[in-house]
Amino acid sequence: MNALVLCIPLLPFLGFLLVGLLRNKLSRPLIGIIASGVIGIAFILTLVIFFTHYYPANAITYFDFIKNSKYDISFSFQVDQLSTLFMLIITGVGFLIHVYSTSYMHDETPAHYARYFSYLNLFVFSMLLLVLGANYVIMFLGWEGVGICSYLLIGYWFKNNQYNYAARKAFVMNRIGDVGFLLAIFWLLARLGSVDYSIVFSNASALSTTDVTGITILLFVGAIGKSAQIPLYTWLPDAMAGPTPVSALIHAATMVTAGIYMIARSNVLYSLSPVSMDIVAVIGVATALLAASIALFQNDIKKVLAYSTVSQLGFMFVALGVGAYTTGVFHVMTHAFFKALLFLGAGSVIHAMGGEQDITKMGGLRKKIPITYWTFLIAVLAISGFPFTSGFISKDEILLAAYSHSKPLFWLTAFAAVLTAFYMFRVFMLVFLGGFRGNDEQQHHLHESPPAMTIPLIILAILAAIGGFVQLPELFGGHDYFNQFLAPVVPALSHEGENLATKEYALLGGTIVGLIIIFLFCKKWFAVNQFEGKYTGFKNVLAHKWYMDELYDAIIVNPFNNIAGFLKSIVEKSGIDGIVNGVGRFIQYSSRQVRLIQSGLVGNYILIMVLSITVLFMVFWNQDLIIAFLQKIF
Amino acid sequence: MNALILSAVWGIILMFCSILVKNKKAIGYIAAFGLLTILIGNIAETYGTQITHYNIYPMLLLDRFGLFFNTIAILSVFIFVLLSLIEIRKTGKYEPEFYTLIFFVICGITILTSYQNLLMLFLGIEILSIPLYILTGSDKKNLKSNEASLKYFLMGAFSTGIMLLGIALIYGGTGTFNLQPGTHSVVGTYHGISFLEITGLIILMCAMAFKASVAPFHFWAPDVYDGAPTPVTSFMATIVKVTAFLAFFKLCEVRVTDTLTAVNWKMIFAVMIVATLFIGNITAIFQQSVKRMLAYSSIAQAGFMMYAIFSLNDVAKEGLLYYAMAYSLATIGLFATMSKIKDYSFEGYNGLAKKQPTLAATNAIFLLSLSGIPLTAGFFAKYYMLASVIKTGSYTWLVIVGVCFATISIYYYFRLIQAMYFKTGNPDTIDHEITPFFKNMLIVVAVFIVLLGAFPQLLLNWFYF
Repeated sequence: MNALVLCIPLLPFLGFLLVGLLRNKLSRPLIGIIASGVIGIAFILTLVIFFTHYYPANAITYFDFIKNSKYDISFSFQVDQLSTLFMLIITGVGFLIHVYSTSYMHDETPAHYARYFSYLNLFVFSMLLLVLGANYVIMFLGWEGVGICSYLLIGYWFKNNQYNYAARKAFVMNRIGDVGFLLAIFWLLARLGSVDYSIVFSNASALSTTDVTGITILLFVGAIGKSAQIPLYTWLPDAMAGPTPVSALIHAATMVTAGIYMIARSNVLYSLSPVSMDIVAVIGVATALLAASIALFQNDIKKVLAYSTVSQLGFMFVALGVGAYTTGVFHVMTHAFFKALLFLGAGSVIHAMGGEQDITKMGGLRKKIPITYWTFLIAVLAISGFPFTSGFISKDEILLAAYSHSKPLFWLTAFAAVLTAFYMFRVFMLVFLGGFRGNDEQQHHLHESPPAMTIPLIILAILAAIGGFVQLPELFGGHDYFNQFLAPVVPALSHEGENLATKEYALLGGTIVGLIIIFLFCKKWFAVNQFEGKYTGFKNVLAHKWYMDELYDAIIVNPFNNIAGFLKSIVEKSGIDGIVNGVGRFIQYSSRQVRLIQSGLVGNYILIMVLSITVLFMVFWNQDLIIAFLQKIF
Repeated sequence: MNALILSAVWGIILMFCSILVKNKKAIGYIAAFGLLTILIGNIAETYGTQITHYNIYPMLLLDRFGLFFNTIAILSVFIFVLLSLIEIRKTGKYEPEFYTLIFFVICGITILTSYQNLLMLFLGIEILSIPLYILTGSDKKNLKSNEASLKYFLMGAFSTGIMLLGIALIYGGTGTFNLQPGTHSVVGTYHGISFLEITGLIILMCAMAFKASVAPFHFWAPDVYDGAPTPVTSFMATIVKVTAFLAFFKLCEVRVTDTLTAVNWKMIFAVMIVATLFIGNITAIFQQSVKRMLAYSSIAQAGFMMYAIFSLNDVAKEGLLYYAMAYSLATIGLFATMSKIKDYSFEGYNGLAKKQPTLAATNAIFLLSLSGIPLTAGFFAKYYMLASVIKTGSYTWLVIVGVCFATISIYYYFRLIQAMYFKTGNPDTIDHEITPFFKNMLIVVAVFIVLLGAFPQLLLNWFYF
């Protein structure tokens, strides 16, 4: 069984090697079969673990990774309910997206096609390593691995420099977070001498409050970078430069939720530090609001979805911050379903539109691409929280948890949820309803996507619609299956003594009323063609994303570039280059002079030798003086 | 004793070979076979098997250190002979006598690695040197070879005089020729040691420094190395030089650490090290001839070997053995290749990689090893030397100086690699002499260097069994 566990991450790695090394030899169908196949098998293996309940109490150790007199960091995996859940999401959704990609990326040449799939497989490998690792170092390995894969895939079309900058931005922002993560690991090592989850969590209470708070905040800094929270969120919208399935897999369903996984995994530490919890919740709600407000006025379909992702991640952090860890993880799952579906649907739309991403140039696609339309509608309903979809159940739980923690937090989160519904309906209406606004060529090109793309859409749509029932509130006949499943690893928030029924009815009612109002409002609002002129006033600020990128450029990027330019053109050119070349020239010069001592005359040589003996005698007898003299100089 | 007896016997056999053996080509192989027997005899003695048992104690003492060094030296000579068979045949008419002299040099080496008496030291040095004076002039028709031979002899005679003066003064100070010091005289002492002994030691050290071509007594080296036939240069610059170092080390190990602890000798060595490194490395930079560059490089490498004599501890001892191996192999290989190229200048090597890829690749490894790049033996050789100084606990600045000069040395070593690989040209090689056997030998040497660099314990574990 342990070998089987090892196979799960190794299979995608094998796929990466096969597809990557033989990229010039393999044909396109074969590449697709290998790359999707390994993920499919990994998914089946994960299902085996899930159904046999193979959750060993101790970590499975394979070999010593770093071993010295002080630390013993092993390469070991922790198979438990939490990691199994994430593995199911990664391999399951990952498999669907691989299948979808075989069709979506069909225009690439075989070599690039293979490059794409090898990166994708490597990503799945790294992500599995991240969630399977039984200590923070293995998690960090996976953490870095997904970072580099994200970089490679954002810059997949590397001939476009804009995309390369986006990739670089993502990488640098992630690295900033990684520093925090690394420092947290060092801190743990220094205080506890171990980074194994079992040892860290059982000794966590021995840590002082300062230590716990410092470690958890630093871990959260890592999560901020990876999960795109304020202030390190600006890379995620730019990351949409990558192919759309990549956005679905990496920048919606899996990698960006690594931060949530990390905090859920470290819940023992966070529970010891109320300060860190509050920081997590505040950052989460602020991000949720900010990103949702920006999403309102974006015209690029993928940008809207990207900001939506940032905003949804904010919701998850709110859940974690108020102590509802399982709820946060639950929202990761439902979000993986409906957001992957939204991205893949958007990919299908872009595919149909021949590469067009501007929603103002779409419209009326309902009839042309019906499968995409219906699945997209289900996703929009789910993310907006339409009653009894997966998104409704997970989001309502977040709101309930926020309400029992603090009232202002609840109202802010709820407002963000309203905004979510608003911008999602806007996209939906602009894309699928009304009349077509694109040019004739595009209209002629419109067609439904092939089955390799639509089947994953349908499967995800089913999951997005009913996937939430595992955690249906008791009020509606549910049994908390999800919370019970995770209970051995992650504690759920207790709602004991609260009047849940009233609140849940209130939320249900509020949601229905809100959605109707929004729907009507949207219909009226988007009836008039308002895309002729530019946005004005506050709308303009939102359309420009609160000028965040400009702000970062002004206070960080540009000063940094200026310093670099100064170092390059002044310090290096005239300073360091001068010194280096000067040393070289000096040595050459002295070489030319010293050479002359070798005159070729034996008489001279013997004279110098005799003089040298004399000098050595003088040095020997006066060495105390010489040493004293040298010490005085230096 | 095995190696000493066998090498003397083989020297005489080779002398008779010039009359008895008509097939000229056979002589080189006879010599190689002779070397093999000496090598086996010496290894056998390391494990306790001797041909004869004489009580030689007060004069010679065959300890494991010396025997192990003998093995390294004889192995190096063996490789040297195999690589230079054709060159030696071409150098003058007297091939058997050439080998005879080499066997006598080995005789001198075995004495120098085991001497316990200053007179034996003198005898060993002379047995080592006198054949070399002849070998240097073995290319009789070549004026440069004759000039080198005469210069070497004149300066060698001068250093012999100095050496005898030193030994005489030590005798005057202690009343014995033994390497282990006897009773010190009571009059005219410095920290309890006779002035005569100190003066004698300094003078003796200068003479040893001359043999090891350590600055400021190195002047003979570039001229002689440049003028001598290439095989002889190769032999002198490697095996003979490291043997001189070993003798030097043995002298200092006893005389400097044990008896004269109150006297600080470090300063004088430090001056020599810095001077040697400076002159060797700096002058090598400007050379246009590869042969002359290697002559200066051998001085620079001597500077590094001086670190062992400076620190005189166990690390230094191991390091000296390691350095002897690493340095000798790489330099022998470089000289062997050079003798296949007609033009010795850097331009003559231009484009060698295109014409003779095996030669260029192996030479690149030799050069990397000499400049001390990791994964080659040269790296650990330098590492041991510098580590030995650090272990003494003081004079850290000397390590920094060493590293700086090692960096400078990369310039002239890599210049040759650059010429071979990155410049275009048609090097004038003697193609019919580059046999598959020669190439394979070079590859074996290169592989050995890399192996030593990857697993440095290989050699030293054997030293300790």
